[in-house]
Amino acid sequence: MQDGVLTTAGVLFGLSGAVSDRKQVILAALASSAAGALSMAAGAYLGTRAEAEVLQGEIERTREQAQERPYIVQEGLLRELAKEGLGREAAYRVVKLLSESPRALLSTAEQKMYGYGGGAMGNAALDGLVMGVAFVVGALVPLVPFFLIPSKDAGLAAALATTALALFTVGYFQGWLAHSEQRWRCGVRFVTIAIGAAVVGYLIGLAISPLGASAG
Amino acid sequence: MLKPGDPAPDFDLASASARRAGRTRLGDIRTDLVVLFFYPHDFSFVCPTEVTGFDHALADFKAEQTAVLGASLDSVESHLRWAEELGGIGYPLLADEGGKLARAFGVLDEKEHVALRATFVLDQKRVVAYALASPFNVGRSIAETLRVVRAIRTEHLCPADWEPGVAFGPDKLKF
Repeated sequence: MQDGVLTTAGVLFGLSGAVSDRKQVILAALASSAAGALSMAAGAYLGTRAEAEVLQGEIERTREQAQERPYIVQEGLLRELAKEGLGREAAYRVVKLLSESPRALLSTAEQKMYGYGGGAMGNAALDGLVMGVAFVVGALVPLVPFFLIPSKDAGLAAALATTALALFTVGYFQGWLAHSEQRWRCGVRFVTIAIGAAVVGYLIGLAISPLGASAG
Repeated sequence: MLKPGDPAPDFDLASASARRAGRTRLGDIRTDLVVLFFYPHDFSFVCPTEVTGFDHALADFKAEQTAVLGASLDSVESHLRWAEELGGIGYPLLADEGGKLARAFGVLDEKEHVALRATFVLDQKRVVAYALASPFNVGRSIAETLRVVRAIRTEHLCPADWEPGVAFGPDKLKF
């Protein structure tokens, strides 16, 4: 979500420095948000799908091996358990016990050897949809106040405030999820980085605005 | 790795055989040939197919006046528990702790600190007559080792895929 907030805020502030017409800024920010959302959704979809295909291939290979040559899977699992600190003999006995149920052996091997935890394989369409919607929701945070307030400068100030508030909330929530005792600091860090990006964007816009004037 | 024609280094190592701990010295073995096979680990799921495979074929090797020895870098206590796990092994499993024997035969993987999956057949003078190393994940063929033992004992020129009963070349012909 913060990608949508940051990208759109960056476009708003950057273009506001370069372009005087408020409508052009809104149109460009809308186009940037749509392109960003589609790009993020497509990236998430393709990434999850590629990862799932590779993982699925590995799992199918493991299942074939488990049927034809179970000792290959058993040895692979034994090595993974040994890497985690279990002695070789103890790891052997654990794998041998698991081998009493081919299903238990296979599911444990899949988890340990390929990090696949049953239903944990990603849903590409859902990942893409979530990523795209999250980007749009994030983009609306700076865009809505800028759109609703007729004054360009007042709109920018409101966009800056909602962006800072949204990012602070995301940072604070992240700190809460991580059980961090410095949740406020996490929030402030998010805001600092965002405002820094916005200011830099605005300054770049100001710097390149003469190019736009000469081209027009 | 030692190759055919290289003398095998003598050794005197703790070993587990027939559910008992003891010692095995190459110089004390009186059979015509000795099969010495190295394997990476006790308590693995690939090695037992070889360890038990040699045990199942032990009578055939004995009939060819050939002793069988297995070796890994595990302790003799580990060998005893491992052999018990496999239902008993009738030939000595050498405890090459530290890997001195594997290093002497040139089959010690220094990085993993395990012996390669290597097989040597030693002749009457305890000179290497046959040497073979397999990848870690590929078990070797006990039947092929027995075939080679039988071929060596003919002291004749044996063609590819020679089996007992198939005609072979004249005595002492080397090539």
